[in-house]
Amino acid sequence: MLAKTPIKEVKGMDMRGTPVLQVVDLTKYFGGLGAVVDLDLNVHQGEISGLIGPNGAGKTTVLNMIAGTLSPTNGSLIFKGEDITNLPPHRMAKKGIARVFQSNTLFGNVSVITNVRVGLHLHTNIGFWGAFLASSYTHNREKLLHEEAMEILGFVGLSDQRDQLAINLPHGSQRTLCLAVAMAVKPSLLLLDEPLTGMNAEEVNVMISLIKALRDERGITSIIVEHNMRAVMGLCNRIAVLNYGSKIAEGTPTEISENSAVIEAYLGTEQDVA
Amino acid sequence: MSSRGNPINTVVILVFILFLLLVPAFLKSNYWLHVLSIVGINVILAASVHTIWCTGELSLGTAGFMAMGGYGSALLAMRAGISVWAAMPLGGLLCAIVAVALGYPFMRAKGIYFSILTLLTGEIFRLTAWYYRSLTGGPVGLSHIPSPEPINIPGIAPITFDSKITYYYLIVVAALLSLFVLFRLQRSQVGFTWRIIRERDNLAASVGINVLWYKISAFAIGCFFAGIAGALFAHFMHLLAADASGKFGMFTSIYILIYMVVGGEKKFAGPIIGAVSLTLLPEVFRPMQEYRPIIFGALVIFMIFFMPQGIVDIPHSVLSWGRKMVGR
Repeated sequence: MLAKTPIKEVKGMDMRGTPVLQVVDLTKYFGGLGAVVDLDLNVHQGEISGLIGPNGAGKTTVLNMIAGTLSPTNGSLIFKGEDITNLPPHRMAKKGIARVFQSNTLFGNVSVITNVRVGLHLHTNIGFWGAFLASSYTHNREKLLHEEAMEILGFVGLSDQRDQLAINLPHGSQRTLCLAVAMAVKPSLLLLDEPLTGMNAEEVNVMISLIKALRDERGITSIIVEHNMRAVMGLCNRIAVLNYGSKIAEGTPTEISENSAVIEAYLGTEQDVA
Repeated sequence: MSSRGNPINTVVILVFILFLLLVPAFLKSNYWLHVLSIVGINVILAASVHTIWCTGELSLGTAGFMAMGGYGSALLAMRAGISVWAAMPLGGLLCAIVAVALGYPFMRAKGIYFSILTLLTGEIFRLTAWYYRSLTGGPVGLSHIPSPEPINIPGIAPITFDSKITYYYLIVVAALLSLFVLFRLQRSQVGFTWRIIRERDNLAASVGINVLWYKISAFAIGCFFAGIAGALFAHFMHLLAADASGKFGMFTSIYILIYMVVGGEKKFAGPIIGAVSLTLLPEVFRPMQEYRPIIFGALVIFMIFFMPQGIVDIPHSVLSWGRKMVGR
């Protein structure tokens, strides 16, 4: 196992209270390969936590386990004091964990607003039979849901494209729509898997300000996996660095950028950070 | 089953229903009533498979579930002495329960693997009926299956169901009722969720949709109606045999798939149109009966190449082709 570089605890850190999400000894083996080994991570309320590391370090595997897509080989996930290890994805969503997938994952053949409407699924309150027997209650509910969806689209700036098919949007807007769908779940924890890939400079800035606004205006806690170092350093309150499935460092962006082990393992190759 | 806001559809459907009700008056022979009854049963089967297909999974176990519904209903009526009117829905319910139990493991497999599982399960159901002689009569078949009991309507003579003509009306009513329920389901929030799952199941799960449960529900509902179709078939034929080339053989399941492809799977009416036209077609070309699989196979390949949207899309294609010709 790689030696962990101890990071000095920042003063006042204890005042952050109990974490929203506690990742304890999280381990995932694919056959003999340890994708994630004994990962400990604490994510606090209202923070953006970065998860960085070279390709194949196990970042997406960690997100997949938190989102319930993969079940861990070992270890546990504690969300708001509740053990959520091994819950299936839809139960994770019910607990308040939403995610943005690494590739653009959308319902391509329906309109933009319908995508967000599907995201509101948990808040629909129309049961199996209620949906079958249309009533004035379901009608009013529909109206309310439409307004909610429009509000979310307004927030991400896609109101004008609401009736377009999602598949016809340009890449950057599809990425924002992915975020809008995740927002519709009304999560308390948002998992962002490389939200900035393939975007141009302007789109990157828009996305960064959106993620910031989610934290500052709506108090949504996020975990972000991203290769764009400038964005990660600007966005995150805390950063954890993974390499070969193990955490090699953790701390504030400044601490991470000065950490010699991190620079050696990963940042040393990134010219734009230096 | 009128769709709101489209008066043409409503008129077409009403005319079609009127046609179905009046058609026995014009038919001289019982033979065509028999054929039309089989058409009705095939329509229910096609719509039931289409319902499962909404979630993106193709069930090829239709014939097996039909056998289960048919034998279930017939045996309940004959051995347990239950009224046929109760036995038929119970046969469907039996299929739904089995579908839930099987759906739980099966729905973890996707795509072609799910289809293979259902195909083999359907065959197992048929073979069970074939070998379980003491219960189903085995290769000899189950005979003397009763007709539904007469209904007494005060003032009018009791309606009996042992003639082809009254049973034809029973099948028409059952088929219309099934189509109405399935149509409403597919148009509801539930049907919408099924199609959403078909498009992106991982995203659907990530926003809190219980993908497994929704898929199982579609499978159970589809199998329920396949069972109902089987029960209607059983009390119509009065004789069931589970041989491989019969109605419960896996060719039936394949034919239902062909009805769906030829009719067009995108629209609700597609599989129905496919079932009606492809059940009637071999009757018109009776002398070529033995070449049916070859003709159907060629037809499917033709449709996939030249009309992938199916027969149901022909009016639309003709319209857009006409517009192109006119220049607008």
